[in-house]
Amino acid sequence: MKLELRAVTKHFGSLAANENVDLIVEPGQIHGLLGENGAGKTTLMNVLYGMITPDSGQLLINDEVVDIRDPKDAVTHKIGMVHQHFMLIPVFTVADNIILGSEPVKPWPFIDHRSATERIIALAKEYNFHIDPSATIENLPIGQQQRVEILKALSHDAEILILDEPTAVLTPQEADALMVIMRTLKSQGKSIIFITHKLKEVLEIADVITVMRLGQVVGTTTPAETNEAALATMMVGRDVNLVVEKPPANPGEVVLDVTNLFVQDDRGLTAVKGVSFEVRAGEILAFAGVQGNGQTELVEALTGLRRATAGSVLLNGTELVGRSVRDVLNAGVGHVPEDRQRHGLVLTLSIADNLVLDQLDSPQYKSWSGRKLKAIQENGKKRIAEYDIRAQGEDEPLSALSGGNQQKVVMARELSRELKVLICAQPTRGLDVGSIEFMHRQIVAIRDEGVAVVIVSSELDEVIALGDRVAVLYDGMIQDVVAPTTSREDFGLLMAGSRPAVTGATL
Amino acid sequence: MTTDVVQTPRSSRLLEIALRVRRANMALVLVLALLVGLTIGAFLIIVTTPSLVHSWATFFSHPGATISQNFNTVWFAYEQLFEGSLFNFHAMRLLLDHPNKANLANALGPISLTLQDATPLIVAGLGLAIGFRSNLFDIGGQGQVIAGGLIAGLIGFSLNLTPILQVSFELVAAMIAGALLASLAGVLKAYTGAHEVIVTMMSNYIMVLLMGYLLITNLFARPGVKDGASKAVTPTGQLPYFFSHLSSGLLVNVGFLIALAAVFVVQWFFNRSKTGFELLMVGQNGEAARTAGINAKRTTIITLCLAGALCGLAGMLELTGVDHFLSPNFGGSYGFDAITVALLGRNRPWGVFFGAIFFGAMYAGGEAMQAFTPTNIQYSLAQVIQAVVVFCVATPALIVEIFRLTDNGRFRSTGSSGGWTK
Repeated sequence: MKLELRAVTKHFGSLAANENVDLIVEPGQIHGLLGENGAGKTTLMNVLYGMITPDSGQLLINDEVVDIRDPKDAVTHKIGMVHQHFMLIPVFTVADNIILGSEPVKPWPFIDHRSATERIIALAKEYNFHIDPSATIENLPIGQQQRVEILKALSHDAEILILDEPTAVLTPQEADALMVIMRTLKSQGKSIIFITHKLKEVLEIADVITVMRLGQVVGTTTPAETNEAALATMMVGRDVNLVVEKPPANPGEVVLDVTNLFVQDDRGLTAVKGVSFEVRAGEILAFAGVQGNGQTELVEALTGLRRATAGSVLLNGTELVGRSVRDVLNAGVGHVPEDRQRHGLVLTLSIADNLVLDQLDSPQYKSWSGRKLKAIQENGKKRIAEYDIRAQGEDEPLSALSGGNQQKVVMARELSRELKVLICAQPTRGLDVGSIEFMHRQIVAIRDEGVAVVIVSSELDEVIALGDRVAVLYDGMIQDVVAPTTSREDFGLLMAGSRPAVTGATL
Repeated sequence: MTTDVVQTPRSSRLLEIALRVRRANMALVLVLALLVGLTIGAFLIIVTTPSLVHSWATFFSHPGATISQNFNTVWFAYEQLFEGSLFNFHAMRLLLDHPNKANLANALGPISLTLQDATPLIVAGLGLAIGFRSNLFDIGGQGQVIAGGLIAGLIGFSLNLTPILQVSFELVAAMIAGALLASLAGVLKAYTGAHEVIVTMMSNYIMVLLMGYLLITNLFARPGVKDGASKAVTPTGQLPYFFSHLSSGLLVNVGFLIALAAVFVVQWFFNRSKTGFELLMVGQNGEAARTAGINAKRTTIITLCLAGALCGLAGMLELTGVDHFLSPNFGGSYGFDAITVALLGRNRPWGVFFGAIFFGAMYAGGEAMQAFTPTNIQYSLAQVIQAVVVFCVATPALIVEIFRLTDNGRFRSTGSSGGWTK
């Protein structure tokens, strides 16, 4: 099936989310759609999937103009979409999720589960998916859940699949498996629109790459004609330094000394099982690992948000376990939380207020007569300039900022305190190339100032780029601490819980 | 997506002006809300007044007479509403012609009544607004008002100190009483997760019934008389009236100044104080507050204590300023009206202040409307009209919708729970 978008324009108020966008997807093509956050990729796909009505423009399928007003129309026209955040019901089985919305009823009003299951098994076989239709979604790993989403789209006879940032949530192995699936689908004549901002992947799999910036198509190219640097430049509109420039670390005294730490998760299960490590001043210890292997709990325990059940966290010899969050922060621990919108910022408050969120007691911002509004504002102005935060002004509510700029606010705030340790969880999650470059430079700079840095990231590239040493977390334990030069395969194996004979030096 | 497509500007200047006028602002929305409320009210007056209903029988033979009769009656009723609450032109003219004490008292009457009714609402409304801003729904205003009134009363009629000392004593004690009652909900919420709405609402029943019981004990009841009315607060424990030298009917008192002071204090609290900011943070994003080292449990308890303290103060002001003795229906609906006042004022201190004045005016004007209209408007109808007007003013989203104003979602958000805090 051939799909063509012609001159799609969509404005939100004065913002041009899409401006005269043309896109052609040939049958059996994997079309990479690349762009920074806010470049208009998602808007375009939502137009295609009928969730947004464009101001103008045409949609052609097999060279015929069609009108898609809602997702139902899109499905009838054989367009399927796999959203970044899965639209699955966790307590339902795979089969139930797939038939949801088009349940086979026979005899009315009973759902014919048997024929549904048979159909799904047949479908899975056709595309070489290994999936158990009777499994409950919440018990499946993310990669499998994604397959269910894809299968669901295929069960509606989709000819074109839109995959919105499909690899963002996957382990390297799962991502590889997804690539295989995509190739299988392609060989069956399906077209795929692959939205991403990961340059490596798009170069690896796409037949054609379209790059968007500020709502417009900047160019269309093929992997053969381009490379990472050129794509990054197209995306950002300037030259981007993809590799963090990092002089070798100059580790000093041990600042953070964690021994035999045990932490429980919300359900009372032990999530961190006896973790021990040290971080020295002026070095970056990066934690690699698939999400959900105790990273969140570890970070919360280090920052005082969650009480460790056993073990100790010494900061320059002072015990932090059992102290309040306030005390931990005051002791010199900086924290860039994993989910900035939920834990790091108050979106309704102004930028200036968010920049002092954890410094309300500082004499700089508080006197006997209350908060020093002027000083807070001045600080806001200063940081906005210093960190190049793109905003109308310091009084603007934080919700008006893009993800990258929001993260800059968090980073600016934490770095404006006197720090001994900086703990960054997923520092660049969901950020675009330009912002990632900025964040990485900041992190390396603070390391070189002699702060001990802990990075937790599910992004292997990031871990390798930033870490002076890399600890791999698996099932709440440190599988190994290795050099960042370790091969990707070995990292993958470590992250999956096996212990390869790591070729690099074990540190 | 609900984002409105931007109106393409045309060259016509007239259109531009029209568009600008259509852009919703608070003043326009309020005026339109009043208009809608009064229009619905007018309809209600007409259908409930027999003589007016009959007048429509002759509509086709004498349309002019019918319309003028209806219009005059409605106009007269609203005139009373206005003159009873704010400004009486006749009394003013009389005062200008014959400036004397009695006429001055008459001219001041309506506004005095409005402010007197508004005083406890301002304070209680501020209290509830503090809670709402922190996403805590203190529904226990009534109970906290009663708690404040009971303690203030106890001190009021059992002591006989110098006025300033006794009043301060009453004030502090009433605030503590309200705070303690509300802190119960705060502690339960912080440490067990019990929902504050249920706890505070149940505390209302407890306080109403407790008051009923206390009023027939010797502690509160007048010696030998157990009719539910308590002893009276000694003169030294009463808040002085502003205009007692003019007339004994002007009940506006120092309590209004205390309420006004409370507006400034709460304004400072929200804008400048650290606790106020923390409370806002916890309300907007509790998780982020916790991550920033704020003790959310402590903040929850403090918030409810402050809300309760102000409600307790409202009870004290009502008792020592106006009532002077407790009766089984002391506190009336202040605790609940204060919820509306807080929302009406969008939880902003000055918004609450004017919301309360509006409510006070509707109380005062409603009384005048039923007392003076010859067509016999029932007090309950006056209350219905009052409610309709409040309904319209309190739902700006509805007004924006009816008049198709452009508002960029500013007023529409009030409907969702987010509107409680914004």
